[in-house]
Amino acid sequence: MTGNLPLSTARELTDPPGGAPPGRLERLGTALENALLVLLLGAMVILAVGQIVMRMFFQSGVIWADELLKVMVLWIALIASVAASRNQRHLRIDILSHFMPPRIARLPGVIVSAFASVVCAIIAWHSWRYIGLTLEFNDTVLLDTPAWMVQGVLPVAFVLMSYHFAVDCLRNLAALSRDRQGTHVSR
Amino acid sequence: MIVFGALLALLAVFGAPLFTVIAASAMLGYQREGIDLMAISIEMLGLAEMPFLSAIPLFTFAGYLLSASQAPKRLVRLTGALLGWMPGGLALVALAACAFFTAFTGASGVTIIALGAILYPALQHDGYPARFNLGLVTTSGSLGLLFAPSLPLILYGVIAEVPIDDLFRAGILPGMLMLVMLAGWSLWVNRANRKPLGDFSMREVGSALRESAWELPLPFVVLGGIYSGFFAVSEAAAVTAAYVLLVEVVILREITLRDLPRIMRESMLLVGGILIILGVSLASTNYMIDADIPQRLLAFISDLVTSQATFLILLLVFLLILGAILDIFSAIVLVVPLVLPIAAQYGVDEVHLGIVFLAAMQLGYLTPPVGLNLFIASYRFNTPIMEVYRATLPFLLILAASVVIITFWPQLSLWLVAD
Repeated sequence: MTGNLPLSTARELTDPPGGAPPGRLERLGTALENALLVLLLGAMVILAVGQIVMRMFFQSGVIWADELLKVMVLWIALIASVAASRNQRHLRIDILSHFMPPRIARLPGVIVSAFASVVCAIIAWHSWRYIGLTLEFNDTVLLDTPAWMVQGVLPVAFVLMSYHFAVDCLRNLAALSRDRQGTHVSR
Repeated sequence: MIVFGALLALLAVFGAPLFTVIAASAMLGYQREGIDLMAISIEMLGLAEMPFLSAIPLFTFAGYLLSASQAPKRLVRLTGALLGWMPGGLALVALAACAFFTAFTGASGVTIIALGAILYPALQHDGYPARFNLGLVTTSGSLGLLFAPSLPLILYGVIAEVPIDDLFRAGILPGMLMLVMLAGWSLWVNRANRKPLGDFSMREVGSALRESAWELPLPFVVLGGIYSGFFAVSEAAAVTAAYVLLVEVVILREITLRDLPRIMRESMLLVGGILIILGVSLASTNYMIDADIPQRLLAFISDLVTSQATFLILLLVFLLILGAILDIFSAIVLVVPLVLPIAAQYGVDEVHLGIVFLAAMQLGYLTPPVGLNLFIASYRFNTPIMEVYRATLPFLLILAASVVIITFWPQLSLWLVAD
């Protein structure tokens, strides 16, 4: 039972990730995401529990701790979202994918991933512009931390998401052309 | 504009990640109003300004950790020792254990996999009809949704800006109603075979209690802390995560340190999926409010609907359709900001609305063709999906009846809330 982790969407149950074995880049990226998530989640637990202990026993607390916790939520949200893009685990409407045979599902797969990739790229670009502005105005958050250090996660995360969706799009495209060749041969 | 809207809807139906569809619609709106698209990034940074949001990653992580340990087994044993003496014991045990577990793990399909694997063969072994078992286990997977500290309750509180402990109080009686109705049905179906699981034995209770000694304080600390006002939700979540980590990894050692990053990642995949939708919908909701869409919607509806009762009927139908298409988290984030002002206009209490919303969305887990629980059960128990549909149908109807009662009996929700 311990080896069998709960799965959060039905998609990967009906549609297990197949294809090529993970390459070096893939493994490195996954490890990096995991490391960041472990670090953030761990820090969050320690910080939040620390705040409670401080409140209970010393009637005090660190003023910036609450703000830092909220920033961590933002970071977790974005990094986890990158991880979800890699594993194709974003929430989506699943009506068609359940009932379309995988081979037919590939064409919509190509279009949908291309769309997602473009949207993420646009968001990444505008986030980048925004970071530029905050740099110009020397915005700060959390005492005197430059704002870009906190907000910089935004463009980076969306560039990575855009990349993952693009990879998925190409993968579907490759499968599509493979199918086509396959049918030629069999005929 | 309509063309773009239809195009986006089509992309969503073909499985585009919802957050990209929402982001695209927000950006189209900005474009039309001549607002710099940078606004979407600024709105998304609002994720770092929402109160209590840290409760979502922390509770989710704790829940995944619990379900990867032996805690589900201990929970089933303890519930069995406490309730197993009743006629139809095992069916009741399954309902109670699943409701409790779902409340703590946040309704993500985890329950069916963690508890179903134990309960399904046990029910089979005890001679319950196969179809009943399948329906029961599938339904139980989302049963504890209305009990604290379930994720959807927290998310509704954050979005609707309703005190979360009010919601936690409001969910108790409606949640119990669902449990009682399903238990009644289970007893009725098995009236020919109402055998108890075993005799009540103090010794078994004692030994089951001892076995779960480490997890036992958890509900008391978390729920007691929240209900008494000692902990904010986010604090309770942090304490839960820290405590579960300590117990399962350090003390009981059922989860090795090497497994931990994988479990963290697995839980965060769900969290990332929810929070990114929340982030982009901050942008789309703001745009919709700027564009007066709730007002226009209200004007449109108030022409058609005059009484609260009609409004509630309409709401239920709408939520049922919504639940069949969207998962509960996306639905809360996207729809609550629109429905809230309209419901207020018809005098629907916002806490009651939350309970109705979640109760109706719970049906969505079981509604063909795409209910999440149906697919997880079909996969987990290796049963054709059509068979799962059939097995779950009576349970779905009973739950639907309970949702109607919950909707038109607001006192049931508000009883424990009012001070």
